[in-house]
Amino acid sequence: MATQTCPVRSTIVYLSDLTESGVLTDPRERRICEQILNLVEEISEGAAGNDHLSAIDALVEEYLDGKGSQKTRVNGDRLKQMLSENREVFESHIATRNCPSHDCGKLAPSPCQMACPAGIDIPTYLTLIAKGEDARAIEVIRRDNPFPWVCGLICTRPCEMMCVRSRIDTPVSIKFLKAFAAERAMSEGAYHNPEKKPFNGKKVCVIGAGPGGLTAAYYLALMGYGVRVIEALPVSGGMMMIGIPRYRLPREVIDREVAMIEDLGVEISYNTRFGADITYEDMKAEGFEAFFISIGAHRALDLGIQGEKEFPKALEAIGFLKDVALGNHHAPGKQVVVIGGGNVAIDAARTSLRLGAKKVTIAYRRSEDQMPADIEEVEQAMEEGIEFSFLTIPKEILGSEGRITGLDCIKAELIQKEGSDRLMPVPIPGGDFILEADAVISAIGQYVDDKGMEAFDRMNWSRRGTIEVSHASMETAMPGVFAAGDAVSGPATVIEAIGGGKRAAEAIDRYFNHIPQPRMPKIPVRHHREPPVEMTAARKMTLKRPSMPMLNVDRRRTTFQQVELGYDEESVRKEAGRCLRCDICRRCGKCIEVCRDKMGIDALQLGYLAFDHSTETDFRTTEKKCITCGACAANCENQAIVLEEKDGHRNLKLCGTLLNSQAILYCDHCRAVLPSAEYLAFIARKTGDMVKKTQHRLLCDNCRRSLSAKINVETRPSDPK
Amino acid sequence: MQFQKGQKVKVARKSRDEAWEPYMDDFIGLHGYVTDPDTSINDPDALIEVSLEEKGTHRLPQDCLEQIVL
Repeated sequence: MATQTCPVRSTIVYLSDLTESGVLTDPRERRICEQILNLVEEISEGAAGNDHLSAIDALVEEYLDGKGSQKTRVNGDRLKQMLSENREVFESHIATRNCPSHDCGKLAPSPCQMACPAGIDIPTYLTLIAKGEDARAIEVIRRDNPFPWVCGLICTRPCEMMCVRSRIDTPVSIKFLKAFAAERAMSEGAYHNPEKKPFNGKKVCVIGAGPGGLTAAYYLALMGYGVRVIEALPVSGGMMMIGIPRYRLPREVIDREVAMIEDLGVEISYNTRFGADITYEDMKAEGFEAFFISIGAHRALDLGIQGEKEFPKALEAIGFLKDVALGNHHAPGKQVVVIGGGNVAIDAARTSLRLGAKKVTIAYRRSEDQMPADIEEVEQAMEEGIEFSFLTIPKEILGSEGRITGLDCIKAELIQKEGSDRLMPVPIPGGDFILEADAVISAIGQYVDDKGMEAFDRMNWSRRGTIEVSHASMETAMPGVFAAGDAVSGPATVIEAIGGGKRAAEAIDRYFNHIPQPRMPKIPVRHHREPPVEMTAARKMTLKRPSMPMLNVDRRRTTFQQVELGYDEESVRKEAGRCLRCDICRRCGKCIEVCRDKMGIDALQLGYLAFDHSTETDFRTTEKKCITCGACAANCENQAIVLEEKDGHRNLKLCGTLLNSQAILYCDHCRAVLPSAEYLAFIARKTGDMVKKTQHRLLCDNCRRSLSAKINVETRPSDPK
Repeated sequence: MQFQKGQKVKVARKSRDEAWEPYMDDFIGLHGYVTDPDTSINDPDALIEVSLEEKGTHRLPQDCLEQIVL
């Protein structure tokens, strides 16, 4: 049966070839083609809205309206023809968000790429790292995230949570491999910016030089926009710089990656508060037509207890961490109590210890297993000697003459209240006790400071005090105003802010070009398929995630040196090779079905394919049962499993992992290449008579047929008539 | 329900929270992991980050989620 490629996919291939081949020399034609490609990709991904087809039609007309060459007209007419001939298929993709031919899934992202809020093509860059191509890996990462080094050290790594390898043993150490590649590329001078487009005459104002703002600035600058970033602090990086302590993220790492963004012509105005030092009207008068707000969530929530406002040493964590980041290295006190159970509380406690506090205690009102902080952070804090007082509710900060003497607390128990499945901390009567302290740091959450945002009067705010946006485009209710990061989500992660900044940059470009915005967040894009790293099944199964070497505890307690020291190069290359390449294998399970149910062989023990009910996986078992019949490969739509003949062997490979290898046999009669002995034996069982007649000779199909036919004719009983 | 990092969850229903956008209707029935719960105060009202199989990572209101016990 002839196979026909999905017209939506064919159009993407056609447009990609057109934009990447260099034939489009006119910037206008190139821009229009890229915009059409973007919209068709969204149709292919199920992210298109009702306006997409009409917007494509308009762009095609715009393309044809120009005074282009004969070639331009031919390209435009071809495109128009592709769209009109397959109108129904395009409409069906938009309506059903489904591609019946599965062609639109060929470059579908892997679970790790899907999970990454910035949509980084993780399998591609891991493969490049495994091959030692660090600079190319960084190039791939920076298509979606301009901060690979920062994220390599502090990302919350949702990718690792979704890593399919964890269904076999442990997830690939994606985060740190990224840090290694960035550091190596930077060290070798191979960390480069992509080429930016020429200035398009349009200017965007970014408010806040945090991860969201700088990401938007980076992608806008690459697209040819003039970008100015307004930053209230004297440093860039936002929460990366002032919220995350240096023992987790050295300042030089942020500075080097921010410098790469500045190299693109992005201008950062430091010590400039929007709404005070510079206004919306000022920026409009200077020709800034779009605004991107990424002001973060820098205001601390109050504890609401007595004494909180009375003592200079009653601090809030976010202000304390900011002061330390900006150079104030005085210990808050000798005996510090930090109130809270999240990551900020842990950071404040570990920072206090490094500044010279003798005793640091974290007071948390729930139990240890309910602490919202990352488990690794809690463990590291415990190793460093931070004490924890669980089920502790603060009542009052005690002291006199401006000096704190302790924190009055009450012991709590967790009780499930009626109508709720949530355990609530309830004070135990008579459970009062005092934690001795000369400094108390509160770390119970932050919120968005909306001061200075008054000019954006048509923008809506949520009941949580965050800016309301459409998450597909990060567009606010006020035309030309976009927002992302903690200002939208509330206190969240660096990678979410980066993802939001990237989406906003794309949406701002659409806004300027009157292109409709997508109805849902765009599915991450894979640009090509990097050939997988080849290795034996035994090696794939036995490689183990390396443990992270750590700085010794004494130095951790006394300095701000980086705690996680990183893997050595050999460990990095091996670890990257553990990737299963889920961008190629879509885990549809057809190979298993065919092998087990149709062929009756059952040679594939791939328990990891199921998301919810994964069972044991062992690539090594395949060679014991496999007959290299090739049925699995023939039924793999994505060519994840392939049967190839090389150097006298027939090899079955799953995404580069050698599952089975058998010597190629030859026909005794004509020397034609034969299937494996195991496969021949399998066929022999199915065609017993024929084999009997050909006397167990090693024969190809043709010779067996002709010889058995000859024998059959010669030995045929005479006609009973 | 208090959600914690690494918990397997299901988008069980549409949320009544204002943060629920129409495209999130496509998520109902999907399974995933909590990748970043509210990391400061365990606020049941906070939006939490969830990675959904085949649909990416999103911040969702907690009232649409149920923990999966396999």
